Amino acid sequence: MRDQQPQQTPDEQLDHISQTVRAELKARFDNIEAQGRATLSPSEAEKQLQDLKDLRTKSLGKKSEFANLKKSIGRLPAEGRADFGQRIQQTEGVLVQGFDDEEDYRKRLIETSRSERESIDVTMPGRRPRPGHLHPVTLMRERIEDIFVSLGYAVEDDREIETDFYNFDALNISEGHPARDPQDTFYTTDGFALRSQTSTVQIHAMQRRGAPVRMIAPGRVFRRDTPDPTHNPMFFQVEGLCVDRGITMAHLKGTLAEFVHRLFGPETRTRFRPSYFPFTEPSAEVDYSCFNCGGSGCRICKGSGWIELGGSGMVHPNVLRAANVNPEEFTGFAFGLGIDRTCARIYQLDDIRLLFENDVRFLEQFR
Amino acid sequence: MLISYNWQRELTATKLDPQEVRERLTNVGLAVDAVEERDGDHVLDVEVPSNRGDCLSHIGIARELAVIEKSTVHSPKPKVENPEGKISDLARVEIRDPDLCPRYAARVIRGVKIAPSPEWLVKLLEVLGQRPINNVADITNYVLHEFGQPLHAFDLAKLGESRIVIRRAAKGETIKTLDGVERKLEREMLVIADATRPVAVAGVMGGEESEISSTTQDVLIESAYFNPASVRRTAKLLGLHTEASHRFERGVDPEGVLRAQERCVALICEIAGGVATADVLDVYPAALPAKSVELRPERVEAITGLQVPRAEVLRILTALGFEVREDNPARLIFTIPSWRHDVAIEEDLVEEVARHTGYDQIKTALPPASLAGEYHSSERRKRALRQAMSGRGFDEAISLSFTELTEDFDLIAEFAGRGRESAVTLTNPIIEESSRMRQTLLPGLLNSIRHNLNHGVRDVCLFETGRVFVVSEPGQLPLEREAFALAATGGAMAADRAQAERELDFFDLKGAIESAVAAMNLPPLDFKIAAVKHLRPGQSAAISIEGARVGSIGCLTESLAGAYKFRQPIFVAEVDLTALLEIKELPALYSPLPRFPAIVRDVSLLLDRKVTVAELLAFTLNLKIENLVATRFVGSYEGEGIPEGKRSVTLRLEYRASDRTLRDEEVDRMHIAVVSALKIEFMAEIR
Repeated sequence: MRDQQPQQTPDEQLDHISQTVRAELKARFDNIEAQGRATLSPSEAEKQLQDLKDLRTKSLGKKSEFANLKKSIGRLPAEGRADFGQRIQQTEGVLVQGFDDEEDYRKRLIETSRSERESIDVTMPGRRPRPGHLHPVTLMRERIEDIFVSLGYAVEDDREIETDFYNFDALNISEGHPARDPQDTFYTTDGFALRSQTSTVQIHAMQRRGAPVRMIAPGRVFRRDTPDPTHNPMFFQVEGLCVDRGITMAHLKGTLAEFVHRLFGPETRTRFRPSYFPFTEPSAEVDYSCFNCGGSGCRICKGSGWIELGGSGMVHPNVLRAANVNPEEFTGFAFGLGIDRTCARIYQLDDIRLLFENDVRFLEQFR
Repeated sequence: MLISYNWQRELTATKLDPQEVRERLTNVGLAVDAVEERDGDHVLDVEVPSNRGDCLSHIGIARELAVIEKSTVHSPKPKVENPEGKISDLARVEIRDPDLCPRYAARVIRGVKIAPSPEWLVKLLEVLGQRPINNVADITNYVLHEFGQPLHAFDLAKLGESRIVIRRAAKGETIKTLDGVERKLEREMLVIADATRPVAVAGVMGGEESEISSTTQDVLIESAYFNPASVRRTAKLLGLHTEASHRFERGVDPEGVLRAQERCVALICEIAGGVATADVLDVYPAALPAKSVELRPERVEAITGLQVPRAEVLRILTALGFEVREDNPARLIFTIPSWRHDVAIEEDLVEEVARHTGYDQIKTALPPASLAGEYHSSERRKRALRQAMSGRGFDEAISLSFTELTEDFDLIAEFAGRGRESAVTLTNPIIEESSRMRQTLLPGLLNSIRHNLNHGVRDVCLFETGRVFVVSEPGQLPLEREAFALAATGGAMAADRAQAERELDFFDLKGAIESAVAAMNLPPLDFKIAAVKHLRPGQSAAISIEGARVGSIGCLTESLAGAYKFRQPIFVAEVDLTALLEIKELPALYSPLPRFPAIVRDVSLLLDRKVTVAELLAFTLNLKIENLVATRFVGSYEGEGIPEGKRSVTLRLEYRASDRTLRDEEVDRMHIAVVSALKIEFMAEIR
């Protein structure tokens, strides 16, 4: 403890302490200002922080003159004691604020510097395994299934190797019809056929469920086509069937129109052209307006504005009978569309053989 | 089929321009692929459906156009001028196989002068893409395009004994057809023969020897109706597809045989001169009966939703040639025209009415909601499987279902023990070496891996789901099962990084298949070391679930890898997906959360490297120590500091009581007991 000037009043003492501390703080501040704040290095700032801390202890700490002065308040005459108390508190506030400011400034500087040192390149790739990809045929099949399930259809499946009954007879494909020719349909040595259309599932489904029935059957089918850019001897189809009382071609048109709206967008139009299939009567070929040009004609639709979706029609009464459904009571429509072909159109594949080569560089392009 | 617009205009006086004709024909089911301007005419390329043989002619198309335009067809009314003589004095016709040739008509013209055709005919045939030959041949072709009836002209002098015999070919017979090719005939083929030898393949092509030549004087004109299936078979067997066979296969008009012949003969007399016989040798042993079909008018709306007035129904059908046989309020009965082989039932008439009313007139409506949609019962789990696999970096493959015969692979358990003869074999493969239906998905995946490696992609992870097949009992359909297979090779690739951090190994593939099974919410798979034909010994395992074997996993053998020219290890697995899908999903059941903390202790055991982790885990579980709640695998180490034939396995044991916090001394006591049991059981040292 230093000697005090006994003649000084407490007010004078307070002024003196306050001036001294401020002068010391200012000296340090001026020092920084002189050098330019920007040049203060983090290690220098650390040193100054320690220095500030020491100075704070010395000036305001328990053993400081200031602390003594505070303790002396109790000994002052009652009159004026409160005023002095207030003054001393005020002075203390100002001085503490001065220390805080100087310290904060240096702390911020140190923190900024550390953040910079520890900063990362956020553009480097995230850590994750390479994602795998579903096959485009699967992606398309899932989209089609989702649409029809939401329209109240059940998804069905059945055998890929079939008897003549399911592959031909029940579908009203007569003996001697060209489709039965070994030129077009694969046969096993036991005389069974690789199903040449998923329409086979119509019969199974009607036998299992009876009428009314609404179902789609996506699946593999086989035809003896020599592989070329637009043919594979194996491909994927979706068969659709809706049998109920009072079903008409208007329902067929409405259902497929709704389907293409959901698959290609609400602006898509459909066109139905009379056609011929043994298992439907009347039959219709279904086209939809080109998703690329909207119908004005482009490379994808070969200038016609229309793209073929598939075949359709009202289920032939012989087909209903083959599945024990009474054609006088029930009518129905059926349709079949190519999944691979739709893929080929949408993704603009120029060679559908790519679908079954499983080239990773090809598969990676779909999601 | 090519159609001349100008000719259509002559036949129907159409008011439509070629583009309008194109559109309107397309709308009634005769799609016109293209319209091309050619030599002052427009040629329409019409795609005629296979059941509409009657439209393979200008008159046939004109009939449709007339219905569209509510006009009439001005078809020619041929009449031969100044005929003379009886044909029976000049030729004889005999049908030996009336099942294959229901009708055959012959007529002779004497004294024709073979010459080039007049200019109008040459031009017309050229517009239709046909090369002109001589006046007689060109006229037969002209009538073919006009009526759709193929005709043939023989040089009468070249027919032995002036006889026509329609019969099946005899064994060993041959004929040199008009295209100059010597053809072997078979017993099932129908031929036109003279007294001794075939002179034409019936309905397909004539023979060279009886062909019309510049010296021909008398011609015999054939007009016939041949059995469509027979002509199709013959044409296919000979690989000979002609304008004639195309029409006979689809069925010509048996009642139009004479009219077309009359037209042809009249034109020949007019253009090439000569005198026709006054009569025709028309052999038609059993006239094909006219069929009729009923239409209940309300069925049109019931099937199509179209409301067509009765008068319009009648107009359309009669204009198409259907004759009303009975007309009462409840039903109409029509006689089917002889050229419409495609019409047999009520729905066929409904289609006629609908297509001529216009499919575009049919409203669109969704069927009233009645049934709930549902996915296939296995689809939810299959989607989970696919998502899990793609999440693990596997790309989905789809391979052809046909493969070459291979015995290099062990099959899924359901097919196990079946040999080479169990493969389903195709009688008529399209790719010669791929004549079997696949019994395993693995060769397909390995081919795909090879394809990728050959294209410079060395890090490949593929999976596939699909059917596999084996033969069943004789006469029974083959067995079909769904399989799930994986193949992986190269590095463990991370997204957006050029280089893998490490190479894939067995445990990557095992992890992938375990993820798939977990995603399907099935009990865990069990792996046991096992010998598998296509897998490297020591790195191959049998996969089981709930005690039943379902597949295998491991590293491809050196010899198979060599056969595929792989120079890096390939890991493959295949399981019976059908079997997995038959297993009940694990129900999720809540068990109360532990209230007291667990205390864990690790132990590292040095033991024989043949001791498996599964054995260690099972052993501690079987000790049945009440408060040992779990034993988990931490790691395995062999290499530096570990003696040959040994390895170090570290396990973490977790102790917990359900009613209090265990004290260290209690845990120590239990742990020492577990560790000494492990030591004794597995002759292990503690590291």
